[in-house]
Amino acid sequence: MGFFENLFGGRRDRSASLAKQRLMMVLVDDRYKLTPEMLQQMKVEIAEVLSRYLPAVDAGQIEVKILRGEANDYLKADIPLKRGQPDVG
Amino acid sequence: MQRSNGEHMGRVITITSGKGGVGKTTTTANLGTALALQGGRVVVVDADIGLRNLDVVMGLENRIVYDLVDVVEGRARLRQALIRDKRLPELCLLPAAQTRDKDAVSREQMIDLTGQLRREFDFVLIDSPAGIENGFRNAIAGADEVIIVTTPEVSAVRDADRIIGLVEAAEKGPPSLVVNRIKPRLVNRGEMLSVEDVLELLAITLIGIVPDDETIVTSTNRGEAAVYDHQSQAGRAFLDVARRLRGEEVPFPVLQEQQGMLERFFGIFGRRRS
Ligand SMILES: Nc1ncnc2c1ncn2[C@@H]1O[C@H](COP(=O)(O)OP(=O)(O)O)[C@@H](O)[C@H]1O
Ligand SMILES: [Mg+2]
Repeated sequence: MGFFENLFGGRRDRSASLAKQRLMMVLVDDRYKLTPEMLQQMKVEIAEVLSRYLPAVDAGQIEVKILRGEANDYLKADIPLKRGQPDVG
Repeated sequence: MQRSNGEHMGRVITITSGKGGVGKTTTTANLGTALALQGGRVVVVDADIGLRNLDVVMGLENRIVYDLVDVVEGRARLRQALIRDKRLPELCLLPAAQTRDKDAVSREQMIDLTGQLRREFDFVLIDSPAGIENGFRNAIAGADEVIIVTTPEVSAVRDADRIIGLVEAAEKGPPSLVVNRIKPRLVNRGEMLSVEDVLELLAITLIGIVPDDETIVTSTNRGEAAVYDHQSQAGRAFLDVARRLRGEEVPFPVLQEQQGMLERFFGIFGRRRS
């Protein structure tokens, strides 16, 4: 099951969802010394690199999750690609 | 379990948490009693040196002559220090020292001690002190398995995550989780982390869901484990943990909402919760 599934989405009103969201942030920071700002910056840079190979990637659309597995954690990024005319420039 | 040379090999299981006050001692006492009720030979070890507690929770405080530190320092033999439970002859307690500091025991001594105990018992349950320092490291030193107790609170879950990392680094294998003091009413209202939330965050195997339960208070007052009380939801939950630990597949029951005095009182007037 997704570890940081709701890192950036969803409306939060009840205190339990707030607690969960705060915990997700705290645990990424505890485990990887990765602040929310750094996570944001990482997405911008991922978009930059990918844009060299693929039609424009929007950093704002990237969703990064960290999943805990048996032996390792996994970083999983969902990166929507804009469909359209292949860019032959 | 049997060693190739025919020596008996019980399981050494440490109950730990990181954060204090989440229910380690309560879990150790109830799980130990439950395993003994189910026919196992069980010793519960209080490894919280300097903060002896397990003895009073089990109602055995008046019988202590020697303690764990007396044993490792050679003033008493293991058999002299073990206290037999009032009701269950197959359940024993090895109490912590109350007047010594927490560094009175070394890791090697703990490994040696648990090695001796596992030859006599099927289950050696170790009640760990809070924290991530020596006391905790000693408590897991001789363990085959680790059970982590947490409550559904931000600080407890955070500390549990830290402990999971340390247990894995110590190559104890993946620990299993008891979520204690769940309040179904709050969870249903979205005002308390659910067991699913906690599992998603910690990603370890669940072995118990224990409700917040007044019978824990009354049974602790009496010095009797809640597993004896057939009215106790928490007691039933601990009996289930014991069965899972023994390899049985036991489904997790849906917890009933418990009402406090105040709610019952307001209930008369038909107060509704949003
Ligand atoms: N499920 C529960 N319902 C109600 N009270 C509980 C429950 N579990 C633990 N407690 C209470 O919480 C307090 C701390 O529990 P304890 O087992 O001593 O924690 P720890 O050993 O982790 O410090 C005790 O007063 C205990 O009676
Ligand atoms: Mg304790």
